[in-house]
Amino acid sequence: MSGADFAVSILGQVPTPVMAVNNDYELIYLNETGLKLLGKGWEEVKGQKCYDLFNSAHCKSDECRVKQAIAKQTTCTARNEVRIGQRTIPIEYTAAPLRDDEGNIIGGLEYIVDITRQVRDERKLQEQSKTILEISTPAISLWEGIIVLPLVGVVDSFRAQQMMQAMLSKIKETASKIIILDIQGVAAVDTAVANHLIKITKATKLMGCKCLISGISPAVAETIVQLGIDLGDIETSSTLKDALADAFEQLHFDVSTAK
Amino acid sequence: MSRLVLEQEEVELTDISDNVLALSAARHMAERIGFTEVEQSLIATAVSELSTNAVRYGGGGVLILRHISNCKGEGIEVEAVDSGPGIADIDQALTDSYSTAQSLGLGLPGVRRIMDEFVIESSEECGTRCVARKWR
Repeated sequence: MSGADFAVSILGQVPTPVMAVNNDYELIYLNETGLKLLGKGWEEVKGQKCYDLFNSAHCKSDECRVKQAIAKQTTCTARNEVRIGQRTIPIEYTAAPLRDDEGNIIGGLEYIVDITRQVRDERKLQEQSKTILEISTPAISLWEGIIVLPLVGVVDSFRAQQMMQAMLSKIKETASKIIILDIQGVAAVDTAVANHLIKITKATKLMGCKCLISGISPAVAETIVQLGIDLGDIETSSTLKDALADAFEQLHFDVSTAK
Repeated sequence: MSRLVLEQEEVELTDISDNVLALSAARHMAERIGFTEVEQSLIATAVSELSTNAVRYGGGGVLILRHISNCKGEGIEVEAVDSGPGIADIDQALTDSYSTAQSLGLGLPGVRRIMDEFVIESSEECGTRCVARKWR
């Protein structure tokens, strides 16, 4: 077996479709896996236009990465979907310009990876993150007129937005006068988190509800001071228990032990 | 002054959620080095600021944590590198309450206050590199 034959034999056995086309998008090579995917023999597809065989969303458009690879003279990768028969398969394909011995571009080379599983996993992950987000901002009615929102983990702008919405709708729903934001479980109170807390406090105030922040540990207190953050007139306390006692006092509730 | 790297950890920053990894890695390393709980919290906060900046303004990058030592003792080195557009005016970025993004503008000056040493190198071509150290 000559060196070239050996190389072609190896390409044939690559377990993913590998294809080469000339400048007119006519098939000049397709490996075994590619033929199997199409369910056709080489004699049947030889010289056919690739876009007639692989009916994908990018075909015949400027999105086609083979076209881009030839134009830009560099490799291009993209996600795409191919329709073969009744099936639609999500793929990721990489195209590269194909050159002859003198370095002239004579077409394009492409290999295709089936990413069905990856796409399914990604969707699942997105669903799960959405679920986590939904269950991680519970606004709980703790007492008549008092809501508590325990915060855990990391607060980014997206989540802060969610929290704000959850709180404001709960305030409207329950006509609460005091909301306690317990930040004991927050990973780190950096300037972004503090900024979100300040904004949330302002928004609740506009709805006629007072926001108390509890769960400020000594470490967090020192961090806020060192960062130079001014929490203004936001009422804070070290524990949820203290915050609740404050809330009772402000609502003129009298708590006593049963005799 | 020569410094020795006893341990090194890298966290890739592509998304704001990578902050969580950077933060907990920093906290754990700070704990192993023997920083107090308050110091751990301060270091984690500094790391959070730097990685948030790298993702938000630098389009992602990498955060490198190092357990370092020199003749005076042990400490932690936090290096955040991105390949973003760079900081046009570093002095301004280090000024309290200056922000280009309607945030508090206390991130970088805060990091400078929290850490013992803080250096920023930034250029349009190479992006931004922040190195901060805190000694025990």
